[in-house]
Amino acid sequence: MNNLAKFISGIFITLGLAWLAFVVGARSQYGDLSPTASSLDEDGNIPVDSDLHPIALSGIAQQGAEEYAALGCVTCHTQQVRREDTGFDVERGWGNRPSVPRDYVLQKQVLLGNSRIGPDLANLGSRGHSDEWFHQHLFEPQTIVPSSLCPPSPFLYQQIENASSSDITISSEDGLDSRIIRPSIRAKRLVAYLSSLKQDYELPEVSFIEKEESDAEEEVVQTESEDMSSTTPKWLEDQISKGKEVYMKAATGGGMCFTCHQINGEGLAGQFPPLANSDWVLGDKSRLIKISMYGLMGEIEVNGVKYNNVMAPPGIPPGSLTDEQIANVLTYIRNEWGNSASAISPEEVASVRASLKGRAPMQMFTSAELSSPVQ
Amino acid sequence: MSSDSSEKIIDRSAKWVFSFFISSAGLWLLVAALFAYLAAAKLTDPFFLSSCELLTYGKIKVAQANAFVYGWGGNAIFAVSIWILARLAQAEVRGPIILVFAGVIWNLAITFGILGILDGHMSGHEMLEMPTEVWPAMLISYLLITLLTLVIHRSRIIKETIAPQWFILAALLWFPALFLIAWNGMEINPARGTLQTVLSMWYGQSLIWLWLTPVALGAAYYLIPAILGRTIDKYYLAIFGFWCIAALAPWSVVHHLEGGPVPMWIPAIGTVMSIAMVFPIAVASTNFHATAFLDIGKVWDSLPLRFVIFGTLSYTVSSYIGVVFSLPAVAKITQFTIINEFHFNQRVYGFFSMIIFGAVYFALPRITGREIPKIAKSFHFWTSTFGVLLLLMAYLIGGLTHGVLAGQPSLPWSSSVIQSVQPYFIITKFAFVILAFSQIVFVFNVWRVIFPNPLLWLLACKKEVEA
Repeated sequence: MNNLAKFISGIFITLGLAWLAFVVGARSQYGDLSPTASSLDEDGNIPVDSDLHPIALSGIAQQGAEEYAALGCVTCHTQQVRREDTGFDVERGWGNRPSVPRDYVLQKQVLLGNSRIGPDLANLGSRGHSDEWFHQHLFEPQTIVPSSLCPPSPFLYQQIENASSSDITISSEDGLDSRIIRPSIRAKRLVAYLSSLKQDYELPEVSFIEKEESDAEEEVVQTESEDMSSTTPKWLEDQISKGKEVYMKAATGGGMCFTCHQINGEGLAGQFPPLANSDWVLGDKSRLIKISMYGLMGEIEVNGVKYNNVMAPPGIPPGSLTDEQIANVLTYIRNEWGNSASAISPEEVASVRASLKGRAPMQMFTSAELSSPVQ
Repeated sequence: MSSDSSEKIIDRSAKWVFSFFISSAGLWLLVAALFAYLAAAKLTDPFFLSSCELLTYGKIKVAQANAFVYGWGGNAIFAVSIWILARLAQAEVRGPIILVFAGVIWNLAITFGILGILDGHMSGHEMLEMPTEVWPAMLISYLLITLLTLVIHRSRIIKETIAPQWFILAALLWFPALFLIAWNGMEINPARGTLQTVLSMWYGQSLIWLWLTPVALGAAYYLIPAILGRTIDKYYLAIFGFWCIAALAPWSVVHHLEGGPVPMWIPAIGTVMSIAMVFPIAVASTNFHATAFLDIGKVWDSLPLRFVIFGTLSYTVSSYIGVVFSLPAVAKITQFTIINEFHFNQRVYGFFSMIIFGAVYFALPRITGREIPKIAKSFHFWTSTFGVLLLLMAYLIGGLTHGVLAGQPSLPWSSSVIQSVQPYFIITKFAFVILAFSQIVFVFNVWRVIFPNPLLWLLACKKEVEA
């Protein structure tokens, strides 16, 4: 202690050990992560033609990230979904899965944050908000969330008298008072950045978490917890879980069904019909199989409610689902969200496919065609 | 201990330097108080000054932390370290002009840094938010000051060193090492992905644990025996406490990353080491409090010592609370809540600043030869005590409310969780007003002693320069 040189070496050694672990060690452990596919083949290689995640920000979104940092948004907002055993983030609907280090490797500046006076933003871009919503929220958050403590940023907007097409009108609750704002380039950058915040893909090291509890806030959805383990045979359980993967997967080889019919199978009122407790899902098998191969367009009636929309042939790319995938995903939707109907086997799908031989690919069915007995 | 006359010579040699650093520290304290008030006011009313882009909440909050740690903390560390080391070395302060010059550079760098933050050039790294342009100036001026402080220590008469010297020297040397590591890992040779976050978390928290904390502990190790006139009780434990902090603190600070997108071993090791921190905490509090409680009447009578003991008690309590909050089961609730504010304010205000106030009140009369009225010090003590306790209680209870409600996913975020925390923000605003008041009194006390008559002071400067 009395020899200055020895003392200095001592205090630097203790500091250096921690530096070795947290800086050198951590860097050699995961400093070279790179984007990858949702799942790897048996040899651990990235399958050909698969989408890689995460993706880099677009130029304007990158500029938006700089605005985000400069305005100090990170003081109140985190961008990380914690693991389930360490927090409530997934239950709160802030993400489908925990964040992992790979999600951040392409970010120039990582803004994880460590304080949440505002909600987490790791998946802000996948909550389905429009650009107008973002602009209105930035201009004056209280017009959207009256109790928000988020400071308004009027300096990013120009208030004007007469609206042109790109301007945004904000009406007060009673509708008497309305303001027209024109976003500056900085506001547009910020919105581009905020709507790019998504961790809505699976990676080899992390997959989506099945949610069991509901969330009253936002559009986050709910799946009934079901006790299947005691009564369901193993093969059926397998088929259901594989079918669920198809339903949830939004990458090559997946079905991407949840984007319209939602994770809770409730669809969206007026746009996409529900699958939960639907006469179409629980009814005729071949009708269901046909839709899963060729899609559906025009007006249909589900549980007495009319919908008029287009369902492209399911799958990525469209119409690419195999017989086995169709069997699995249909078995899944027939046995989820309180539904309970018989399973569909790949053989049944194959026979329907054989009966439709000669039909042009991608030729969508209509409700009328499906209900006509001649086929 | 040396004779009175040699102490007087040493004090006189430190006069310029100490006065410069402590009066600038005082100004930064007021700047930080203003920012703290503005930030608290904005949390209670988001429309308050919202059209002024320079004063966005996110910027002000960061500016406040930087003004507090580097402005107030940095200057106070220089003043107190130089004076204590000079006294213990029984050596005069060398190169006061270079020290003051380096201090001016340091203060200018922070001024530009904070203006840079307000102007939208924030770097986004925890506790290193000031734009990178000012980093070289900070580092060079810091190294100059540290070098001259080491010169004082090297010329000590008694070769044997004691606890205050270890703590203060270690803190002075750790800072540039941390700073260089952070600079390298974030700007020169930037790490990818969340490695950046691990590093900036490590730097930001280590700054509190390895820079502010040891200086305050060292000052307490010096002031308690000096004022009470008795040796530290169970002093033989101090060396164990010192090396425990040196070995454990750099590891313990990363437990805040629990559950985040980093390898699991990082927060896990942080948690284990945080729990192990009970040893050095126990050592320091035994040393301080066993000594102080032998003569508690004297502690109460001496205002400087009252500040110091408030600080050491606060250190003990806050550190134990920190250990509890690092346990994963508790962290699950408290992580990301305003409990973070509780930790920060407890450490930099309730502990560090209170001990520095005590050190300044003890040193200034000896250095300048002018006494500060007891009533003024007493007013400062009581307003500080009340303000700090109110602030910490609000953050603690508010933080627990925040965490418990956030953990119930059925409650909507703004309209329910944050709405329930908002009353505590109103209390913190009130507490910051009290603290600002108290800090104005402190700065007034300091400035009045240093510059009793500005005109005379200018003449004295002229004379000094001529001499």
